Amino acid sequence: MKCNIQVVICECCVSKPALLDIPALQKIASEAGNVTSVIIADAVCDGENLSGVMKEAREKEVDRAIVLACHKRDVDPSLFKAYARAGVPANLIEIVNLREEVVLPGAAEPERAQAKAEAKLNAAVARVRMLEPLEKDTEEMRTRNIVIIGAGVAGQAAAEVAARSGAHTIMIEKTGKSLKSPGVLMPHTTVIDGKGYGGNFTLRIKAGEKVEDLDCAAVIVATGGGWATLKGPLAKACKDAIPLFKLHEKLESDTTPAGPVVIVDTPDPSGKNVKVQDFAWEESLETAARLKKAKPDTDVWIVFQEMRAFGLSELAYKEAAELGVRFVRYDKPAPPKIDPKEPTKLTVKDSAQAEVISINFGTLVFASIPANADNARIADALRIPMSPEGGVRRGSMQRWPVSTPRPGVFVCGSALFPKSRAVAEAEGTAAGELAAEFVKKGEIEFGGIIAKVEQEKCSACLTCVRTCPYEAPFIGEAGKIEIKAQLCQGCGMCAGICPSKAIELLNYTDDQLGTEARTLLGGDF
Amino acid sequence: MAAHRPRIVGFCCERHGMDAVVLAARSGKTHDASVRLVQVPCSGRVDGLHILKALEDGADAVVVLGCLEKNCYYDTGSIEGRKRVAYVKSMLKEAGVEPERVEMFNAASTNAWAFPEMVSKMADVVKRLGPLGSGGEER
Repeated sequence: MKCNIQVVICECCVSKPALLDIPALQKIASEAGNVTSVIIADAVCDGENLSGVMKEAREKEVDRAIVLACHKRDVDPSLFKAYARAGVPANLIEIVNLREEVVLPGAAEPERAQAKAEAKLNAAVARVRMLEPLEKDTEEMRTRNIVIIGAGVAGQAAAEVAARSGAHTIMIEKTGKSLKSPGVLMPHTTVIDGKGYGGNFTLRIKAGEKVEDLDCAAVIVATGGGWATLKGPLAKACKDAIPLFKLHEKLESDTTPAGPVVIVDTPDPSGKNVKVQDFAWEESLETAARLKKAKPDTDVWIVFQEMRAFGLSELAYKEAAELGVRFVRYDKPAPPKIDPKEPTKLTVKDSAQAEVISINFGTLVFASIPANADNARIADALRIPMSPEGGVRRGSMQRWPVSTPRPGVFVCGSALFPKSRAVAEAEGTAAGELAAEFVKKGEIEFGGIIAKVEQEKCSACLTCVRTCPYEAPFIGEAGKIEIKAQLCQGCGMCAGICPSKAIELLNYTDDQLGTEARTLLGGDF
Repeated sequence: MAAHRPRIVGFCCERHGMDAVVLAARSGKTHDASVRLVQVPCSGRVDGLHILKALEDGADAVVVLGCLEKNCYYDTGSIEGRKRVAYVKSMLKEAGVEPERVEMFNAASTNAWAFPEMVSKMADVVKRLGPLGSGGEER
């Protein structure tokens, strides 16, 4: 096949520490077939160097590129954009991660590292030769509405930010509590089902008794935590117990809680249903200090397994202790107990003093709360995964903290897991910003690296239909499997499992992966 | 003669798997150079055929590195990957090849130790079993 490959060696990535013989790599690259241009760039992410690379790419009319650099997702997006302008689409650019796969871990054995780098270069050339340009399609968004499910702290922050960037927001709230929203507000409304994909969703909502369809481009899940529910043996024994935020509300409205007040870190000390959440420490310290300041005569206890006061909340710890809040530490095997016959007495073994104490309390408060029970229904409607704790799952803790694996669906606040107001607000802001950016594009781009069915081979066994987490494969008019391109996320699970080998994942075909592995095995290191 | 260097092919998912590899390198962990990583979008993309072909092409061991099962980017991908690997293991057993040569590993993107540990584990396996084919006829 005829193609012109450009090989770029990024010195910024591969020559620190100086381990590889870069001229040797350059020589191998220039002698490989189809390679018409080899450039050593100082740092390819740097604009000036990049324009030099692009100049050469245009002159030599390259249509594929290999960049020996670092991790694919850490390469500056401007590289892909510049190549796209020069006529090389992103899927024909192979980023070879020499930095983290060869240079950094291989410092002890330079010869082997060199051989490995050469093998990786050869494999990349072999692979890039086999790649084919992929087509991308676009579809207009029907609306540019952003639906925000939940009008709590995170939801309101998201709505405000999204509205400020010009997006139209529709806020859906299960209850009818007093709310504010910059856009449309629908109280007493729940989401019961949904179909479509990022950009063109249709949600089926139940507003009061009426069921209707609502078109939207993006969804922000801000359902919050299970604030209204308290699970666990302690909550069962004492029916009048309240979650921490209720105590907060009481202080806010200047109501005096019946004393003494006992704050326990979790209603379920075994941690089976409700784990101790990290905001619980901070919030209970601050609330206890505030309570003690407002009502110095009230006895306040904090009963906890361990107390981690992060950062400035150390000051709250100090303040609480100085104000006379009493701390009782217990061990997990000896959790605090409440006899249901005597629901105002908490017995706990203080592990610091190794003695059992009992506290007669007026108000029992739990700092940690379970995940929202509604999450399951909403995750089901939007086809997004859930975490083992019962929250909505995010794409990745580091890279996509407020995105779900499904494009166009964002998640923030306690819908992920219960958290403090400040964090929920920050996450809501981020989600609102991302959603606004998503709908601003106005069209959905799809295609590219997706699964493709060779219909002659397909026996319509439905294995792919069962396997796909995104419901992309369906039986088409010809009675064979087709892939809905807008739904396909390009994971390739269907291609891996198809018993007839009728499905290929473009850009990662059996041939391409096999060739890459074979070429890599050809190297001696 | 120099000691045999293991030839390990690793099919590594682009999400948590690759992130774990990158994090390991950045946190200064070194590993044996013998692992040859092939990036796949998801460990569920790996077909039994890929693993068998790699063994046929001269690999002594093949590993699949995916996300943690409860935290897979593609939801059920690493579960599919695990099933695929188990299937290949059963086939290898029938064919008289040690099934330990093929293994599935899972890592979160924050597990810097996961990848170097995986490489050393597999290198040990190859060291113990010898190069593939050494038990029978000459390759």
